Amino acid sequence: MTGAALWRVSAGPAWVTVRAVTSKDAGDPTAAEIATAFAEGRDAGLSAAYRRWSGLVFTLALRSLGSRADAEDVTQQVFVAAWRGRGTFDPDHGDLGAWITGITRHCIADRFAVRQRDVRKAEAAVRLADGGAAPQVVDEAVVDRVVIADELARIDDPRRTILRLAFYEDRTHPQIAEQLGLPLGTVKSHIRRGLLQLRDRLREVSGDDARR
Amino acid sequence: MHVDEEQLARWAVEGDAPDPAAADHLRSCDRCQAELDELRRVSDLAHSLPSMEQPSDEVWTRITGELDSTEQVGPERRFRSRTLAAAAAVAAVAGAGIGVGATLVATDEETPATPTAIRLEPLAGKSGTGSAGIVQVSGAEELKVSASGLAAGPGFYEVWLINTDGKRMVSLGVLNPQAGGTFQIPTGATAQGYRIVDISLEPEDGNPEHSHDSLIRGTLPS
Ligand SMILES: [Zn+2]
Repeated sequence: MTGAALWRVSAGPAWVTVRAVTSKDAGDPTAAEIATAFAEGRDAGLSAAYRRWSGLVFTLALRSLGSRADAEDVTQQVFVAAWRGRGTFDPDHGDLGAWITGITRHCIADRFAVRQRDVRKAEAAVRLADGGAAPQVVDEAVVDRVVIADELARIDDPRRTILRLAFYEDRTHPQIAEQLGLPLGTVKSHIRRGLLQLRDRLREVSGDDARR
Repeated sequence: MHVDEEQLARWAVEGDAPDPAAADHLRSCDRCQAELDELRRVSDLAHSLPSMEQPSDEVWTRITGELDSTEQVGPERRFRSRTLAAAAAVAAVAGAGIGVGATLVATDEETPATPTAIRLEPLAGKSGTGSAGIVQVSGAEELKVSASGLAAGPGFYEVWLINTDGKRMVSLGVLNPQAGGTFQIPTGATAQGYRIVDISLEPEDGNPEHSHDSLIRGTLPS
């Protein structure tokens, strides 16, 4: 949408010209564009990747570890590790978001291991028996839910609004159609395609983990 | 004949059992049953989603600090791609929470007067009027929007917040002009200049971009 019309809108006392752009037509990079810049080692690739996926990484770490401080440490580790290891990422054969999610899983698992070691040390110090608990792993249902929440936020309207009404407010299809003033057929079609979109995203993420 | 795919999705999302005819078919058709199972799995997960959160700004500083000590990673003036540079300005918003997405919150008929309510005026050649006001709901900002007399057309009405810098905008959601609506404002958005409330008519063309067909508009006070 380059060469978009210029709009004059009132903003306070002065008139300013607002160009009709969205995040998309301003050139919001696609995941593939970010991945290419990232793999080529361009700084823009790192900052764009951080903006795109830091919420996903941080939320996943926070929901798994329950501590903001630990989740921020993990977020830092993930992006530092991803940037340093970018040579092993192939943008032609993988999705950067899924790859970063995989690194996040490993960093969270490492953090669990450290905690467990600390617990063992403390237990030894007070001569408590070591239960030998199995190493804690990342709960895949948590990963799935965070991935879906992240993807849902990126889905375009009206599909996003329709899905949110269905999932967050348990509205039926006819209720959604009525609330939004949309034909029932439109609502049905968006819900099915939205579910498939979320499923595909889950497949990419779990597929990446299987390859690692 | 297989079960209608959209009907399978509806059963999955609404949690209803398929009707007897479909249930018969599902017992003998692995394909339809597998599709229903898969859609149910996604829907079940999606019915209890965590809210997305952002790390503090300090984390990005720590990352560049750690990388700077070993390799050159620096400020964004080193962007080589114009597309990405423009994108970064936009994406910065996502980092501030806009990417988290806006929720359409429950609509109610009574519209209490909000102290900050502004009028939305038609753009040149358009018709309609409306109002928009910020309400505080448990610490978060929501935008209450109503409209009337909007030009009819195929498609739907979408509420946007445009930044006064003229470079960025964010979609808040779909507006039903009969009922009005209340939309979550991404954290910090108004403080960052997202103050122009814009309602557009959007064709059902699958294009997420603003249609450039703005109908009414107004600017929230800073
Ligand atoms: Zn079938």
